[in-house]
Parts: sequence; C-alpha cells; structure tokens
Amino acid sequence: MRDLFAGLAFFAAGVATIITAQQFPTLPSLQYGPSLFPSIVGGGFCLGGAALAVNALLARRQLALARGADDEPPPVAQKMRWTMVLPPLAVLFYIVASDYLGAALTMALIMLTLMLVRKTAPLIALAASTLVALSIYFVFSRYLLIPLPQGALFEGGLPWIF
Amino acid sequence: MDILINGMSLVLNVETLMVIFLASLFGIFVGAVPGLTATMAVALLVPLTFYMDTIPAIAAIVTTSAMAIFAGDIPGTYLNIPGTPASAAYVGESHALAKKGRAREALGINLVCSVFGGIFGTIILIVVAQSLAEVALQFSAFEYFWLAVLGLSCSIFISIGSRIKAFLSLLFGVLLSTVGLDMMSGAPRFTFGVPDLMAGINFIPVMIGMFALNELISYYGSRSEKKNIGIDDSDSVFRLVPNHLKRYWRNMVRGSSIGTLIGALPGAGADIAAWISYGVGKGRSKEKQMYGTGNVEGIVDASSANNSGISGAWVPALVFGIPGDSITAIVIGVLYMKGMNPGPTIFMDSTGMIYALFLVFIVANLMMLPVGYAAIRLSKLFILTPSRILMPVILCFCIVGAFAINNSVVDIWLMLIVGLVAYLLAVNDFPMAPAILGLVLGKVVENNFMSAMLRTGGDLTSFFARPISVGLGVAVILLWCSPLLIKAYRHYREKNASASL
Repeated sequence: MRDLFAGLAFFAAGVATIITAQQFPTLPSLQYGPSLFPSIVGGGFCLGGAALAVNALLARRQLALARGADDEPPPVAQKMRWTMVLPPLAVLFYIVASDYLGAALTMALIMLTLMLVRKTAPLIALAASTLVALSIYFVFSRYLLIPLPQGALFEGGLPWIF
Repeated sequence: MDILINGMSLVLNVETLMVIFLASLFGIFVGAVPGLTATMAVALLVPLTFYMDTIPAIAAIVTTSAMAIFAGDIPGTYLNIPGTPASAAYVGESHALAKKGRAREALGINLVCSVFGGIFGTIILIVVAQSLAEVALQFSAFEYFWLAVLGLSCSIFISIGSRIKAFLSLLFGVLLSTVGLDMMSGAPRFTFGVPDLMAGINFIPVMIGMFALNELISYYGSRSEKKNIGIDDSDSVFRLVPNHLKRYWRNMVRGSSIGTLIGALPGAGADIAAWISYGVGKGRSKEKQMYGTGNVEGIVDASSANNSGISGAWVPALVFGIPGDSITAIVIGVLYMKGMNPGPTIFMDSTGMIYALFLVFIVANLMMLPVGYAAIRLSKLFILTPSRILMPVILCFCIVGAFAINNSVVDIWLMLIVGLVAYLLAVNDFPMAPAILGLVLGKVVENNFMSAMLRTGGDLTSFFARPISVGLGVAVILLWCSPLLIKAYRHYREKNASASL
C-alpha cells in the first residue's frame, strides 16, 4: 500500500516538475535550454512512479490471493512514537531562536530537552548539555572561525567566557 | 643525490614532523565530525600556512586531508553517519559490521586500506605524474559526460533492493542538482526567490539531512533505548587485517588504482572515486549477495580508493596547475603563494622541494597508522556514551556543521527539508546512496552535456566521435542492457541444457 502511495506521489511530483520546467526561459541560440534536465527528471519521476504504483497494485493482488488461501492476518507495521517529531522541531527551534538566544544557549536547551525526553537523570542532562554546548560554541567560533550567532539577548557578546 | 638528501632534510626535521603530527590530530577531529569536510579543514589551514615555510605548509595540508578522509569512517561505522562525503559509499557496509560487534575490525581495515591507498597514490604520483596527467588532459566534456553517466548508472545497479526505487532516489538527487542558476542561460531554477539557492544546493547539508537527521528521527521514533552497535571483547583493530588483506589484496590494488586515476581527473574527487570503486568491486565480486550486510570486500575497494584519490588529485595540480579536486584547488593557491609554481618546471627545481613534497605524502600516510589507531581506540566513546546523551549532541553538531558550510541558515533549512524527505523515503525502503550520487554527478552530467552541445551546435552524434568517448559510451550502453543480456544468456543456456537432455 505504501509503495502505491509513494508511486503516485512521485508521479505527481514528476508532473509538477515538468510544468515548472516549462516556465524556464529559453534562449533562441541554444538547442537545449534550462528546462531540458528538469523535464527529463520529471519524466523519469512519472515513469518510475507509475511503474512503482503498478507493481504495488500487482503485488497487492497476488498477496490478497495468497492470503485468501492461508487466511493469514496482514503484517502490522511498527508504530513510531510521537517523539520522532522532536529532532525536526529542535532544528526549527534553532533556526527561529538562535538569533535571539544565541547558538550556545539554544543548543544547550535543545540538548537538555532531548536528553530529558529520553529519561536522562536531570543533573547529568543539565551538566552534559551545558558543557557540550559551550565546547561546540567555543571550538566552532574561536578555532574554526564560524560566525555562530551570539544572540541579541546577550547584546552581541558572552564576555565572561569568550 | 644531493637534491634528494636536501629534500629529505626539508621534511625530516622537528618543525615539519611536529606540524605533521598536529595536522593529524586536526584532520582526525574535523573528519570525525559530520558536516565538516576535508576541504573545509584545508581551507581553515590556509591562514596558518602564511606563517609557515613551504614544506611544513604543504605537509599540514597533505596530512589534514588524508587524516580527515580516514576519520570520516569513524562516525560512519558507529553511527551510520559518514563524517565526510568520501565515506558515504561504504557507510552501509562498515555500520553493518559494527552492528555485529566488529566496529574496530571494520575501522582497522579502513585504516590499513587508507594508508595503502594513500601511499599507492603517492607512488603513482612520483612515477607517472607527467604521463598520467597528459591522459587526464585529453578528457573533454564528452568523456566527462559519459564518465558521470557511468557513475550514475552504477549507483542503480549496485544498490540493494528495488531498482525502480533506486532509480527514483537517483532522480531525486539529480533534481536537487538542478537547483540554482542555469549554467548556459543564467535562468534561476527551483530557487523560489531565495538568493542563497542561486549558487545551487550544497552537498554537505543534504548529506547531513539524509544520513544524520534521518537516523535521529528514527531513533526518537523508536521505543527501544538499546544500542544498535554490539560490543565484542574479541574485536581488535588489526588482528584480522592480515587475513582480510590476504583475501582481498587484489581489491585493495584495484581500488587504489581506480582512486588514483579518478583523482587525477580534474573535478572528480575522493568521493566519486569511492563510489565508482565500490561499484566496480561489487560488479566483479563473487559474493554480491553479501553486499549491504557488512562485507569487508566493499570496504577494501572504496576505502583504498578515496585515499588514493587524494594523492591522485595532486598529479594534474603539480604537473599542469589544474586542480584534481577542491582540496588541490586550494593547494595550488598556497603553492603560488610560497613561490613553488605548479607546472612542468616544478620537476626541474634544484632545491629538492619536489622530493620533499613526495616524502611529505609518505610520512603523512605512515603517520596515519599510529594516530588512526589511537583514534579508533578512543572512538569506543561512541559505544560507551548512552544514545540518549550522544544523539542530542550529534544533532547540535549537525546543525552547526550545516551552517558552517556557507555560514547560512538556508543550509540548516535545507538539511531539515532533505532530512524529512529522506526519512519518508527510507521508511519506504528507498536507498539513499543513489540520491547522494545523483546530487554529486547530476551537475557534472548537465554541465558537460550543455558544453558539448554548445561546442558542436547540438549534434548528439558527437558523443560517439572521439575514441575515449566511444569506449565510455559503449560501456554505459552495455551496462544499461546488462540485465537483458544476462537474461537472454541464461535463457539460451537453459534451452541448450534442456535440448541436450
């Protein structure tokens, strides 16, 4: 069933890609314009998606026939916990909050939350997240010269540390 | 002889050896952090090289890049997250071995193959630098087009599971490679008005999203706190290496040769060398069914290739001043800055600099053995640290690593979006490797196709008009037809067998 939906999704993505690619401007002096490769990819998506969906339908039909013979229940997919949304949310939080809170504090908050969700002892979580966040900030800002946001909250500096 | 001795004295002194040692530690650190690449490590070294003499400056660059390429295998093995793009090709194999409690064994073979590959590439650099570079220079847009198409085709044939899914995954990568300004017309494609996307999508945030964020989502979605990686007390770094080398020495030599050749091609780096070598290894293997389950053979092929590719890339850089990869592009700048102008005249130098440079390669690669061994021993930290503490730390490294490429938040967005798509693809059993290769080679295919068409006025037959181009084109077509040919051959044999009965 999943393959059927995946196939249809790729087919739809292929159609969208081709339509978008047709809007790219072309130069009369060029035989092949900027839409060529995206259109080929879109076409590939349509073909591959259709093949995947058809295969899934055929496999489903065969499975139904086989199941009718042995009366077996359908396999149950493994259930995922709601916490799976936490890593993407944490990344989103960093994007939104780091300019205000600064990279070090934002990372510390992310790590602390994620550790506590997985039932790490609060004291260990607090110590580990603080220490690692400061280390990452120090190494990246000082030695690798990456301009990580210091945060408006600290008015552009963490003078007591760096 | 005096020149040789002079060259040796330029390397075998306390200052240069100290620089090599410190650069080793720096390279190991950068390589082991997902998102930080060998190229970035070398770029960061450039300001330091201003204050160094020529040979220590070159030694620092050579050592850092070689170490970083090896160290990329460490998080790949333990966490299934390649530290550098060059480790992505065989991360599945080394992680599968780690799951069986053979992490150190996998890293041990990685280390030895890396050292061998590096030294092999250096020997080639010394012996045939000039003639090899001349062959590489004969490659034009037509040959590069076919070579890239060959790489893309290989990625479908070497992937495990459904070929349709591998094909779709590959196209997803190719689609990502089309984002940005079109090379010919300058028209923006799929940029959605975001200026940071005009230059195209960077490979690193995509790789972090595909491998690391995807892995993190799976971890937080699972109920189990159990570690995937087994710990086996009998697991040793070097104990089984002689057995593996005895069995797979041909793979090591082949991988190193492929790596050196591909490294010598301008624009093709260690990552492409590893993919192609892995693909060739799998194609010729007698144990194809073992690939993806932790096969040492695949590791030997690709791990030798990526380090030899690093050395191979110096061939065109030294002889013609044409960079073989992004690292040597930086190196050429440093060489000019130090008055060691790359070009054929570099070999006529009478101060022994060129011999010193060759010796630096050998010393740097040999240094990899003790430093790499220590890093492997220390990397047990990945196992001893509970996942509930390690995973949030990895996430923060990924965020900072994605940001560090261009110092842009857009790259963090990119990592997030690609990570989510990759997760959806992975739970539906789509392989990730073809997507990565699609992103790397997609642009190479398109740019070379467009250049070739511009040159020949849109004549498609020109792709079969040059000898090397014909050879590569025929190889691609044969590869595409191989399933049909194999099927037809089997059918023919079965028919013959039944007729003889």
